[in-house]
This record gives sequence, C-alpha cells and structure tokens, in this order.
Amino acid sequence: MSSLHAEQNVRGSKENDKLKKIDFKLISFTLAGRDYGINILKVKEIRKAGNFTMVPNTPPYVKGVDNLRGDIIPVIDLRILFNLPAESKDATNLENIIILRLDSLVLGIIVDTIEKVVGIASEALQPPHPIFGDINIQYIHGVVENESRLYIILDVDRIFGTPEKAQVSALPSAAEEAENTAEPASASVEVVATENVSLDLQFISENLSTFNQFFVSPINIQWTKSRLRAWKDLRKAENLDFQFTQKDDGEAFLSPFFSPLTGSLWTETQMVDLAKMLKLEGNNLVIWNPGCGRGYESYSLALMMETQFKASTYKVWASDLDLLSISMAPGLILDENELDLSGKSFTVQTKSGLQFNSNLKNKILFEFHDIKNINPFSKLHLVVIRDVLSFQKPHDQEKILVEITEKVKTGGYLVVGTNEVVEHENWRFVGHEPWSIYQKI
Amino acid sequence: MRVEYINPFVEAAYSVLTEVLHGEVKRGNLFLKASTKSVMGVAAIVGLAGEVEGRVLFDMSKQTAIKIASVMNMEELTELDELAKATISELANMITAQSVTKLHELGFRFDLTPPAIITGENMEVSDQEVEALIVPMETPYGSIEINVAIRQRS
Repeated sequence: MSSLHAEQNVRGSKENDKLKKIDFKLISFTLAGRDYGINILKVKEIRKAGNFTMVPNTPPYVKGVDNLRGDIIPVIDLRILFNLPAESKDATNLENIIILRLDSLVLGIIVDTIEKVVGIASEALQPPHPIFGDINIQYIHGVVENESRLYIILDVDRIFGTPEKAQVSALPSAAEEAENTAEPASASVEVVATENVSLDLQFISENLSTFNQFFVSPINIQWTKSRLRAWKDLRKAENLDFQFTQKDDGEAFLSPFFSPLTGSLWTETQMVDLAKMLKLEGNNLVIWNPGCGRGYESYSLALMMETQFKASTYKVWASDLDLLSISMAPGLILDENELDLSGKSFTVQTKSGLQFNSNLKNKILFEFHDIKNINPFSKLHLVVIRDVLSFQKPHDQEKILVEITEKVKTGGYLVVGTNEVVEHENWRFVGHEPWSIYQKI
Repeated sequence: MRVEYINPFVEAAYSVLTEVLHGEVKRGNLFLKASTKSVMGVAAIVGLAGEVEGRVLFDMSKQTAIKIASVMNMEELTELDELAKATISELANMITAQSVTKLHELGFRFDLTPPAIITGENMEVSDQEVEALIVPMETPYGSIEINVAIRQRS
C-alpha cells in the first residue's frame, strides 16, 4: 500500500520536475486562429513591416522582398504557403513578421499575430499526429501543451528546404552542462511571463543571456526595464532597430550596468564613505569577495579595513573563476598614480615594480574558485559580490543568495552591484549611491 | 583552491612526466569540479596535510598505466601487475613530492602521505566538501588527470 503511494508521489513529482525543467523556448504566434511555435534559436528578430517589393514569377506565397537594414530578404506568407485563410491587409497596414535565421539563409515570414516566448521541457514535446495540423505533417516538429494552449511547433529547416539540416529532437542548448539536468525552471522566463511583461523585454532577455551571459532576474529587472526604455529611444534616434544583431549590441546595452570603482583601487574618500555605512567591530572578521578579478576590489577592502577599522583583525577571502586574472592578483603591480597617500604606506618597491607589502598581502587569500560550488565558510561578516550574481543563471543566483543569507551573521553586510537589488525578508537596504549595501536582520 | 598552490602542481607534473616518459607532454585547460567524477581505471592517491587538508589523485586508464609503467621500467609489461602498480605509485609520489618542494620554497608547509593505488572498473570519486582542481595532461601513452582537492586549515 505504502509503496504504491510512494510510486504515485514519485510520478507526481516527476511531472512537476518535467514542468520545471525548461530547456526549449519557442516564439508563439497564430495562423488562422491556431497557435504555432518556432524554436527561439531559429528566430533572429520580430518586426512589423509592409509594402514589400513584389518579385515577378515567384510562387504565390512569396510576398516579395524586404529591406532589413540593408539586407534584402525574402518574405513568405505562411498562411498562403499552408493554404490557410489569410486576411490580406491593405498597402498601408503593417504585417507581423518573424525573421528567421537558418544557417546561412535569412527570411521573413508573415503571421497573423505574434504572442510571446514560451518555455517548455523538451520531454513534453509530442510527435505530431496527422489530425493536429492543417498543414503537411512533415513540416511539424512536434506538438506541446502549455497553460492549456496547444502549440504546433514548425520545423522551419524542413519547410524552407535544407533537408539535411532538418531539426533533430530538441536538445538542451550547448551552454547547459550535463550536471544541470536537475535544474528547475529558468526563473527569468517565469518571472517575466507571470508579470505579463512585454515581448520586447523577453526578447532582449534572451539575447542578453545568449550573447553576454547576463541573466535577467529579480536582482536586475528594475535596471533592465529602465535601460530598455532608454535603449529603444537611443536606437530610434540612430534609426536602428532596438533588437540585438550581435554580441557588441549586448555589450553596448550593458555598459551602464557595471558598478563604478571596478578594476581600480578605491580612493580614501570612497573608502571613508563606504566605511561609514558599515558597523563592523570585533576581531577575526571574515570578508568574502567573490568575483574579485585582478584583485583591485580585494586590496581596496583590505586598505579600508586597515585605515577605517584599525581595531579589528580580519581576513579577506577573494575568489574568481577567471584563472588568468586571479593568478596575477597576489603579485599585482601598481602604478604610483593610482594610490593616494594613505595607500602608499602599504606598498613596497620590488624587483618587478610597486606592490603591496606582505603585511597587507597576508590578510588576503586569493582563490581559484567557482562560487556555484560549495565554500568553506561558516560565518561571514561582510560579503562583497558586485556585478557577479547577474552573470549567473537565475537558479544559481538563488542558490548563492540563499547560501550567503545562511552564512552571514545577523548584523552582517552584503554589498551587491550598484544596479543590483536584493529583495529578501532577511536583508534591509542601508546604503546609498553608488553602494548597494544590505544588512542582515 | 588558493592560486599560489596551482603552479607548483602543474609545473611538477609537467617536469616529472616529461623526464620519465622522454616524450612530449601537453597540458590541457584547468577546470574546477565539485561533484562526482568517474575515474578512468587506475587512481593513485596521495594525502596532503599541513597548511591544507586534502588529497591529490592521479587518474588514468589501465592501458595508459601499463604503458607508462613499461616505459619507466624499460621493459614491456602486459598487465597491471605488482611491478606496474608500484611504478605508478612511485610516479604519483615523485610528482607530489616535487610539488610540495616547490610549495615549500614559496613558504607553504605541506606534508604528504604514502601513495595508494586503486584499480577497478566503473569507479567514481566524490569530495563532499571540497572543490577539486583538475589538471589534464596529455602524454604519448594516453591522458593523465591530476585531481587536487584541498582546503585551507584554519
């Protein structure tokens, strides 16, 4: 009896796991009242356009060609291709176009309406049954149900004629490692979907995570939304579309995100300013500084402790996943000009140049460490983790935050990036521009 | 793992392997691992203590172990017998000892334990609480992975 119950529980939770494991995302749209979807990896962008240049002697479903920022691409009316009833708009109305990128072929397809980004587990995909589609079954990659809507997923490689490359069963994207198979839903997509946010934001979020490994989540969504508004205006003024076409666009979008005082030593004024907001006292203070890069942040923290908290003993545990940067951190060579008077007293001339003296260096431990892995701390007083969480997958962001929350002492501090926000009942904001400081309550 | 510890292990592995194998040894990219890792067939483990606690594991396939033991003994061995195992143990000891010497020169005090050899099929190694650094080395006789899992003692 009990084993049967257990089996049902396992099955129930397995279905829940299936729901949570989103590894296939599609853009959903409608054709003649039915819901369809296309693998988001095949979609380059979406736009509204009209007035296509007609090309003579082409099949009826080729509406013509369109000028996509200089590239001439064919535009195909999917409704005509599939013999579905199509309401033709007059010359002034703009059609909804999905631009596809299939290997070297770029083309646009006209659809009735474009809906949203839907995330599903690839296991939930079912093979097509002849009865499901009004269109030729070999064009259907699969069928999936999501929130009581049935989506027919089109195999665009097959439709637009690269037979060898016809879509294989959806595999997790190459970026996912094998160990992450137990990962629950990508929180960014869930949050974004439940807030009924614009398709634009969803699209930009996809681009940011693919091109720049920046993951939109509660930590940075406020910044991302306001940045998107500004970005759209900026691009419009340059007569460009707001969507990304390459990695550089993502970098340009993200450039105002990064916290100031990164990659260089803090000045005394800045250290005093930060120290005022931190009530650190006692001895054996443990400071954790993940994502320290070449070490400027860690050295600055140590200098701050030396000059502003003279009465306390401390240790800075700095880590980074960039082996090259962090191997150089212990032997960081300084420029005389980057130091003010108080900093200079902690330096010493060596054969290779100006470095921090061993007294200071001994207070910092630089480690090659992946913060997604377990760490050895049991009690932390200060965690400085700026612009790091936003570049972790949402599931890892949560995991790391939970760990930090557990390990920081009550009254201890967490400093995140200037444009990052921590919304959690255990953390109270106590900082001011540009310091995002939270105290544990 | 503390960055200062990395180079001694990498350099010692490279120098010892190049010397005993008289061949070209290439180092692959370093990476970190925190979950269970499968072992290729032969694992030589050396414990570390002192400023850190943990172990170094030298991982290779049975074939690679036999070939390396053959080269080191200058005779053709066909199976992983006592002589071959002792040779691999010795290799593990040489690399770890040289690493510890280099670390000593940098001011770090490490102690090592005598090596142990474990052989078998379908083995896995996991470290519950310590992150492991993997240094893959490519030799003419197959790959050897050096797996260092240590944590600060304080």
